[in-house]
Amino acid sequence: MSETLIGKRIPKMDAPDKASGKTRYIQDLEVPGALHAKILRSTQVHARIVSIDTRAAKALPGVHAVITAADVPWQRPIGVGKDHLPLKTDRVRSLRDEVAAVAADSEAIAQAALKLIRVEYAPLPVIATTQQALAPDAPLIHPEPHGADSSAHLKVAGSPVAFTGKPDNVAMTFDYAQGDIAQGEAEADVVIEDVFRLHYVTHCCMGVSGVIAEFDPNGNLLLYSNTQVPFLHKREFAELLGIDPARIRIIQPPIGGGFGSKLDIYPFEPIAIFLAKITRRPVKLVFTREEEFLASPTRQPVLLKLRSGCRKDGTLTFRAVETVHDNGAYTSWGATTPFVMMQTISSLYRVPHCKYHTMAVYTNNPYAGSFRGYGNLQATFAVEAHMDKLAEAVGMDGLAFRLKNAQDPGEITPQGMHFKSCGFKQCLTTAAGRSDFLRKQAENRARWSDPAPVKRGIGVASMLHVGGGAKIYPSDGCGTILKLDDFAHVTLMTGASEIGQGSETVLAQLVCEELGLPLSAVTVVNNDTDITPWDVGVHASRTTFIAGNSAIGAARKAKKKILDAAAAKSGKRAEELGLSGGFVTSASGERLFELGKFLRSLHFSDKADLVMTTFYYEPPSRHQDKQFKGDVSAAYAWATQVCEIEVDTQTGIVRLLKVTGAHDVGRVLNRLGIEGQIEGGIVMGQGYAITEELRVENGVVRNPNFRDYKLVTAPEIPEMDVSFIETMDGEGPQGAKGVGEAPAICIAAAVANAIHNATGVRITALPFTPENVYRALHGASEPPVWNAA
Amino acid sequence: MADIERYKTPTSLAEATEILRAGNVTVLAGGTDLLPQTQAGRVHFQPTLMNVRRVPELQGIAEEGAVVRIGALVTITELLESALVRGRLGILWQACDHFASDQIRNAATVGGNLCNASPAGDTLVPLLALDARVVLAAKPDGAVQTRRVPLAEFLLGPGRTCRAPTELLAAVEVPLPPAGFAGEFYKHGTRPGLDIAAISIAAGARRDGAVLRDVRIAFGAVAPTVIRAPRTEAVLEGRAPDAATLAAAVHAALGEIQPISDVRASDWYRRELIGNILKRVLTHACQM
Repeated sequence: MSETLIGKRIPKMDAPDKASGKTRYIQDLEVPGALHAKILRSTQVHARIVSIDTRAAKALPGVHAVITAADVPWQRPIGVGKDHLPLKTDRVRSLRDEVAAVAADSEAIAQAALKLIRVEYAPLPVIATTQQALAPDAPLIHPEPHGADSSAHLKVAGSPVAFTGKPDNVAMTFDYAQGDIAQGEAEADVVIEDVFRLHYVTHCCMGVSGVIAEFDPNGNLLLYSNTQVPFLHKREFAELLGIDPARIRIIQPPIGGGFGSKLDIYPFEPIAIFLAKITRRPVKLVFTREEEFLASPTRQPVLLKLRSGCRKDGTLTFRAVETVHDNGAYTSWGATTPFVMMQTISSLYRVPHCKYHTMAVYTNNPYAGSFRGYGNLQATFAVEAHMDKLAEAVGMDGLAFRLKNAQDPGEITPQGMHFKSCGFKQCLTTAAGRSDFLRKQAENRARWSDPAPVKRGIGVASMLHVGGGAKIYPSDGCGTILKLDDFAHVTLMTGASEIGQGSETVLAQLVCEELGLPLSAVTVVNNDTDITPWDVGVHASRTTFIAGNSAIGAARKAKKKILDAAAAKSGKRAEELGLSGGFVTSASGERLFELGKFLRSLHFSDKADLVMTTFYYEPPSRHQDKQFKGDVSAAYAWATQVCEIEVDTQTGIVRLLKVTGAHDVGRVLNRLGIEGQIEGGIVMGQGYAITEELRVENGVVRNPNFRDYKLVTAPEIPEMDVSFIETMDGEGPQGAKGVGEAPAICIAAAVANAIHNATGVRITALPFTPENVYRALHGASEPPVWNAA
Repeated sequence: MADIERYKTPTSLAEATEILRAGNVTVLAGGTDLLPQTQAGRVHFQPTLMNVRRVPELQGIAEEGAVVRIGALVTITELLESALVRGRLGILWQACDHFASDQIRNAATVGGNLCNASPAGDTLVPLLALDARVVLAAKPDGAVQTRRVPLAEFLLGPGRTCRAPTELLAAVEVPLPPAGFAGEFYKHGTRPGLDIAAISIAAGARRDGAVLRDVRIAFGAVAPTVIRAPRTEAVLEGRAPDAATLAAAVHAALGEIQPISDVRASDWYRRELIGNILKRVLTHACQM
């Protein structure tokens, strides 16, 4: 038997090229004859567009096209809410809004042309907060159908051509309930209520957004795109253009980071397509870093009121949640984060009675999209603060209180989630044990009255997240095509996109494990919709689980085909044969045929055949019903993280010193890969908790640069001690679960609990930047209040 | 778009000042402020771009009598590597250790940092505390002439100095502080490096038995320019730094600063920090 690849430390296949600067990102792609495009964005947060004069820009030498909404009367609303025209017609609703666009011979000429476009605006009142948006006399953000002459185009068949408007500023609402909340309150001995405020952050992908659009002479569209969802976006682009989706091909160059930001269609993509169509030239549009800050999506800011209760013995009885989400001016995935938030509210711990109500409210702020963790950071922040407070109220330690209410394997929650494998309690005891949590917590607390200005704190938080896909579409599947050539080289064609998470390495590994081949025998093709089979996209921590099971399925079919042929040839039974070390082997490990030679012999035989297989994996999960109940994932991931911090009470500076994490990952497939993913996630969670904030004031982003938007830098990265709890999930590929989002989710909650342990002050608003913390410690801040009545 | 018509690379101070005399010149040294500012459209290139990196008179760190002369082109890295700076101008050395990143320190010059005249400029605060003066060179009528201006008079406001467009900042001169002078530079940002100061303090003194002598205190990012704090210095001069004196010093300091609220900090928080950190820095200084 050759040694297993599972659990080994395997460098990512794309790492050498990326580390040595050889990877060709979309910025590096030069398409012959391509024009360069730039977008003119609004200078007003909320205004009517009175007039746009593009004559001077059009007259600039080197300019090939200047377009406004008037040039594309056939454009359709895009995005999750279909409330968003790529080029704005009669009004702008946020500072990022696209008013005009230029295609020119160079970026510099396009930029110069933007300056020659004259736009006259008539300002409208700015709605800067959800409170203003919900006021009875608030101006409407979407008062009427969009569209230059939408009345005519509304009649066109197909998807809606114009958004019909909204009679109020509420974009979406979500309501969920289980049990009887009144009974839960009645049964509680302790009831607490707090309001939490979660802030704006953005993804900060190293690779900024970009697209190249090109039509061939037959009108087929080729898009080089950084999208995370190529197959679903083919349909959306087709609807937008009114063409057959079959005429669209999407190629994804290596993507410089996604984290959810590339899960929706944004105006720049249709705009590049419009320009390519009008100029009949390829058009390349790549953001500047400033534009990336202003015009790519954010994590959703949330105001959250949580009411929780438990019995004297520590048993949770109910949880009631109301949230208001700042939707920004348009609706993208951010509005749908309640899907995930309500899972944490209802099912992270056992709570018999739950009620959850959310409104996503239109404002003139930047609009929120999907971001690693997808609402779970916000929900976990509130829930884990209450776990500490309730424990204290009933006189239990935080660990015992959590263990008392933690989920066990086999549980089916009232929301319908079935935890077939569940290592939650091992996560809690492992992280607490390895960090010496209880002893340090007591010691820190005893030092509250010490005069030293720098205090130490320790805090714990846990999380539940989908780990076996998420059935938010009718299918949650992924296809694989596997081709073995006559030299035993394997081409793995998968629908799963690589966005830096290491999927191609792990998929190659799973295939090699089945076929007994080294990783060097595999080429992964994962970036061309004309070649790769269907997939719903990179999201919901689903790729290893879904695409992994799909790759294993295709590999097992190939193996069966090879072994059946080998059985016929050797006279042995196929069940006695195996694949190992590049050979067909017997039950005793004897090498019968070298695989390459054997495949050649198949090709050249009378009954010539190829080993080429396909497999489509659909996880055994269910779409939620209208009450948001259902087992949406084939597996669920768990984690506990303990954060140790230092707070300087004279400056408010919080330093994250150490994170002790325990993650139920099902099984470790690539140890190096999962360590990297978890460490990176911890740092992303650290940024959310302590350093990062997109400062939006009256709709204006004040810090669209890395000088003032503080990503975590190398010296700030904490010591990490990460343990893997291997629960060997029965449905997972080799027992693994998805963990892409998990590590970012509970850091902010654990840091908040640690600050309380250090100082006795509980801060319910993020981020924990020095001034915010200093104000809270010195009673000079305004705690969040519920103002969304 | 930038309209640079000529690119000049003088190789002597005489040549450089001659080019300046002709007018309409943008001076380029390290470029770490100039490039981001021009790209952001806050500064516009003049028709002549003059790169002064090859002017030998602007180079080098030298001890001349009781004065350390630091050429305008000396980079932050060179200051960090100088034993003289580390040994005798400790608060300047500490400020360089808080300055941006290694890459920027390799390019950024002390002359550029001075001419950029940021109220938060990292080297400006210790240089002001050290009574530095700048040397300005011009060639009004055929010969290079220089004038010396105390740093406090050189800095007029955010981004504004008394340097005439025909003048070049050639060097900064720092009188050697008295023997036994020690101090601390403190920069408050939200992270260990690559940050703009929300406030900064350079404080130094000489211990004379129980009391402090030659007290020098300067603040950054709490006024339109970096500022000295003469009343705070006076409170501390000749006194033992006990709790009452420190409280009086903080009281004086809060009367000398005029912080604003911006994206980095509120005025209230800046005041709190000046009070808390001044006490901390002085306590450290007294333990040396």
